[in-house]
Amino acid sequence: MMRAHAVLRRREGLAAWLMVAPALLVTVVFALYPVADSLWLSLHHIFVGIPQLGSPFVGLENYQALLHDPVAHQAFVVTLGFVVLSTLLELACGLIIALVIHERFRGRGLVRGAILIPWAIPTVVASQLWRYIFNDQYGFANLLLFGDRVTDYIPWLAYPSVALAVVVLADVWKTSSFAGLMILAGLQVIPGDLYDAARVDGATVWQRFWHITLPLLKPALLLALLFRTMDAFRVFDLVFVMTQGGPGDATQVLQFYGYQTLFTEGRIGYGSAISVAVFLMILALSLTYLRAIGSNLLERRGS
Amino acid sequence: MRWISSRQRIQRPSQSCAVTVSRWIVLLTLIVLNGSISIGSAESLPGATATTPKPRVTLRFVSWKPDHARVWEEVLGDFTRAHPQISVVRELAPHSSTAYHDLLTQKLKNRDATVDVFFIDVIWVPEFAEAGWARPLDDKFPPSMRQDFLPAAVEVGRYDTHYYGVPSRIDAGLLYYRQDLLEKYGFAAPTTWPELIQQAETILAGERASNPLLQGYSAQFKQYEGLVCNMLEFVEGHGGSLLRPDGTGSTLSSPRALAAVQFVRDRVIGRLTSRAALTYQEPEALSLFLQGHAIFHRNWPYAWELANNRTQSTIAGQVGVAPLPGFSPGRTAAALGGWLYGISAYSQHPDEAWALIEFLSSQAVQKKFSREAGIAPSREALFSDPEVLARSPQLRNQRSVLHAATPRPRSPVYPAISHLLQRYFSRALAVEDIDLAQEAAVTDTHIDRLLALTKAAP
Repeated sequence: MMRAHAVLRRREGLAAWLMVAPALLVTVVFALYPVADSLWLSLHHIFVGIPQLGSPFVGLENYQALLHDPVAHQAFVVTLGFVVLSTLLELACGLIIALVIHERFRGRGLVRGAILIPWAIPTVVASQLWRYIFNDQYGFANLLLFGDRVTDYIPWLAYPSVALAVVVLADVWKTSSFAGLMILAGLQVIPGDLYDAARVDGATVWQRFWHITLPLLKPALLLALLFRTMDAFRVFDLVFVMTQGGPGDATQVLQFYGYQTLFTEGRIGYGSAISVAVFLMILALSLTYLRAIGSNLLERRGS
Repeated sequence: MRWISSRQRIQRPSQSCAVTVSRWIVLLTLIVLNGSISIGSAESLPGATATTPKPRVTLRFVSWKPDHARVWEEVLGDFTRAHPQISVVRELAPHSSTAYHDLLTQKLKNRDATVDVFFIDVIWVPEFAEAGWARPLDDKFPPSMRQDFLPAAVEVGRYDTHYYGVPSRIDAGLLYYRQDLLEKYGFAAPTTWPELIQQAETILAGERASNPLLQGYSAQFKQYEGLVCNMLEFVEGHGGSLLRPDGTGSTLSSPRALAAVQFVRDRVIGRLTSRAALTYQEPEALSLFLQGHAIFHRNWPYAWELANNRTQSTIAGQVGVAPLPGFSPGRTAAALGGWLYGISAYSQHPDEAWALIEFLSSQAVQKKFSREAGIAPSREALFSDPEVLARSPQLRNQRSVLHAATPRPRSPVYPAISHLLQRYFSRALAVEDIDLAQEAAVTDTHIDRLLALTKAAP
């Protein structure tokens, strides 16, 4: 009896493994292997243009070089600035979008659909669009501000700090609606009774928002923050299309630097080290967030 | 060096992994296209159809999207008619030199045997030679053939003792100017930068009222490969250089090189040309000139054709071209650019590939390109061909410039050197407060480190 049971359990175990095998295989081949391989390559010194060097194992030398690389420092600061600015603005805009499309009004479906359009446009196309908007000769931004006074037109992307602001703006335009959608999902699970009760107690709109909406939205906000931060850290296309890192490295971000090093310069080891460094930063950030979200959920369950 | 049309993401951060994945993709594609494959490539697969008497060879030619597609179609049509056993499949890559490089080298890193013929930008020759991507053409391209081409164009295809490329089109930086405006104010083409600035100021003072958008100069100062060419011309024209003559060290912090950069920072950006030039590559700078908004313009030879094309240019027939100015009369420098035809080391059909290259670089085809597409030839004889000169009189002046053009640093790690130069120059021109000497010294150290790397190799 016991033995039959054991055989059955073993068979079930086998079936379970068989069923998860495809997913596992895909994860290993397409996610784990490339990451592991990058990690391995980042411990070597490989220069495509100098094959005589071979591919000597250099341990953590690439990472040490990364710590002392002024371009990497610059790219790190720019990336960090981009992440902080864009995620904060996107959460703020997303919250407003969510609050608006959560209300009942005529044509809500249409507005909900329309708000997703920027999110649906491929980033390369959106980047190109914004590059044209801020063009110095025929850009819409100049037309809007100066009309026919063409001599006043501003070359936005020629100023280091303005160029970075334009890249942030393009990202905010593009992804605020995604943040909005996630926050909307959070809004929809807040029970209406809470608002009714608050209204009976005489709470103002602002008090209701501050004491009911915002605290209960915390998990959704954290989740949106997690997704947006991870995504913002990987910013590449906007910079690639709009500025190529210029002027004067003002929009040089880590991923673009990694791309240049790996693909254009052929420095496989060093480029991999940059990729792995970005990967580790995103991993650390996600773990921190997930912890925050997890404890947040536990808190709620406990109370 | 044009607008980049395709997006390349960092998906596969490693070389060997990219090989695996591309194999996967090929496998998947084979499975998916299973049905159509036999139909789709019937004409190019050897012995796929019974009607083709001879076995056919398919050459894969990686090319940028040409400006004059019709001329290319005709030329390749002529080739396949002359060689019925060969068919040519073109793979179009982005027009930007850097984007083209990234795509092509990605294939070559993977030892992709489906690439036979490609273009090599003159700056890639050492890299392609060292990496073993380009096939040496010493036996196919002997001295007797080499002597027919411009020496500078042949030399740039050499690395060590081998020749890797046959000149396709050869470029050098030129100064275009508004003939009508210069004549109106009684000026001849300027030979020094101070002279150019002084002419521009006089003309601007007179023309501002009728054309408020008129600028003195338009050129390419965006942070990209073209910036290196523009700045090389200023530095060399000022008697400086990017590297020591023997190529062993970077000399950006030499007084002459520093002074040239300081000159561009103080007198050119935001003065002679709008600050917007910091975002310009060739098309943007040229468009300014074609609209009649610039007195002087720096560009490659191809701009001549466009500037005089009445459907695209408002200044057709009013354009002059001259060597770029220097800082003292008689001292001028033009960056050497252009493209060579090369054969992949992994090609299975080097002889057929050579037949294509021989055809494309032949006198007749270069003449056709020159007459119908305005592309400057690389064969010496065509510069004195009456038919060619009747159509392109500017070639008479360009010949001496092409002969004397200055190559960018020749090194197998040039892409990395170029990024350092781009950073330095772009920061020097765009950043408000900057210690130029300090930045130059740091860049020198970094470039020296790269150069030492190649020397350390046996």
